[in-house]
Amino acid sequence: MTDLLAFLRTHLPALVEGLRVTLQLTLGGAVVAALLGVAAGLGRRSRSRWISWPAHLYVEIFRGTSAMVQLFWFYFALPFFGLGLPALVTGVLVLGLNSGAYFAEVVRSAIAHVDRGQWEAGRALGLDDRTILSRVVMPQALAMMLPPAGNLLVELMKNTALVSLITLSELTFATQVQRAATLQTVPLFALALLVYFAVAQVLLTGVRRLERRVTAYRGLRA
Amino acid sequence: MPLLRRLTWALPAVLLLVWLWPRPGELERGAMTGGDALARIREAGVARIGFANEAPYAFIDTTTGRLTGEAPELARLVFRQLGVREIEGVLTEFGALIPALKAGRFDVIAAGMYITPPRCAEVRFSDPTYAIGEAFIVPAGNPLDLHGYEDLRDTPGATIGVVTGAIQLEYARAVGIPDDRIRIFPNAPSAVDGVSAGRASVYAGTDLTVNDLLRRTTAPLERAEPFDDLVIDGQVVKGYGAFAFRPDDTGFRDAFNQVLGATVGTDTHLALVEPFGFGRETLPGPITALELCQGSS
Repeated sequence: MTDLLAFLRTHLPALVEGLRVTLQLTLGGAVVAALLGVAAGLGRRSRSRWISWPAHLYVEIFRGTSAMVQLFWFYFALPFFGLGLPALVTGVLVLGLNSGAYFAEVVRSAIAHVDRGQWEAGRALGLDDRTILSRVVMPQALAMMLPPAGNLLVELMKNTALVSLITLSELTFATQVQRAATLQTVPLFALALLVYFAVAQVLLTGVRRLERRVTAYRGLRA
Repeated sequence: MPLLRRLTWALPAVLLLVWLWPRPGELERGAMTGGDALARIREAGVARIGFANEAPYAFIDTTTGRLTGEAPELARLVFRQLGVREIEGVLTEFGALIPALKAGRFDVIAAGMYITPPRCAEVRFSDPTYAIGEAFIVPAGNPLDLHGYEDLRDTPGATIGVVTGAIQLEYARAVGIPDDRIRIFPNAPSAVDGVSAGRASVYAGTDLTVNDLLRRTTAPLERAEPFDDLVIDGQVVKGYGAFAFRPDDTGFRDAFNQVLGATVGTDTHLALVEPFGFGRETLPGPITALELCQGSS
């Protein structure tokens, strides 16, 4: 027991600093992903090619290439073209772009799954398309989006471990640094696993609460 | 009650955001290249140095949080004489040091990096600050009886563990160890754990890295003794570690190198690096970066 306390006292402060970076990337990335996902998801439905093609291109490029290579490219290659973003900004941006591409597909399919009759009914009542989308279709689509969005959020949180490649000391890298000092590989990685698990549980609880609220707002049972 | 219930959520959320909000300096690490590097560093008062957390060359002392080791301590000394008060460490994996330097993520690599002709094509080195040999970490009792690179090559089924981007991969290939018997690990602790777990027969590292790792680990491992000197092209191979700069920063490198030349070998220098296992016997002698880049060692 005293061993465990001594172990935690030695390593926990550094891991908490690492956790801070992990959470910065997760929350920052989630905001970027939410904005881009909704924009690209709606964009792909647009009748104008000038909107739907770029949205399509974005989704395919970021879904179709390795997140690790994207990080490398943004961090090590872009400076040669005059764009040397700080490490944290690069991490948030790339993780957000990546998750956003997947989220765009979630948004697109959720909207497509709202019954066509809802659009027809809206038009019959004299509503314009924008109003139907924002007041009738989106609230229903939102309820369908949330469970897969929760999955993506946890996925994003775990992907943050990739950013150690670009000089950010997030949880995994902080664990590596502690490990280099004491070579206590097994307990240190066990601790890191527990921390990731705990964070994932908090994120999922948050998403579930949101789900309940959205379904309650629509007058449905969860 | 709804107000109170909302507060129980809002307060932790606000505290979390305050904690997560980037602190001063955290966002100012954009890439910077071009112009007079030394003038820019002097103006900022801070030199950014890249390192890979490899003791005893450059590592974070986890008890104090201080960046220390042979290279950072020497860099501090030299930079002070150049009128730069502080150094700031940028931690990255060893294999990413050169790309990060070239992308302007820091101003100089201070990781005890060896001068090698392929690296000379990418970066500009200072003159060396130390010279050391090679060693193996093996399981206790050295079950495969391995005492050097040739030994390992001639032992069927023996595998060699090396770190990404580190010199030992080149040594292994130069000696003729086939690629399917080379295991590449992301960092030295992983390579050591790899030997413990039977993923590789040996970890091949520098003399001092091996000593340092064995001092820390509790696993049943040992240094392969005796160890045959590595001979490539008829010459005993020694590693010469130095600081590395961007190719364009010649003025900066020359100024740094001049102060460095007047420092290496002095009592101040020796006192500074002795805690890390370096000393008079690891001094590089009169050899220069230029000679090492041309491949004479």
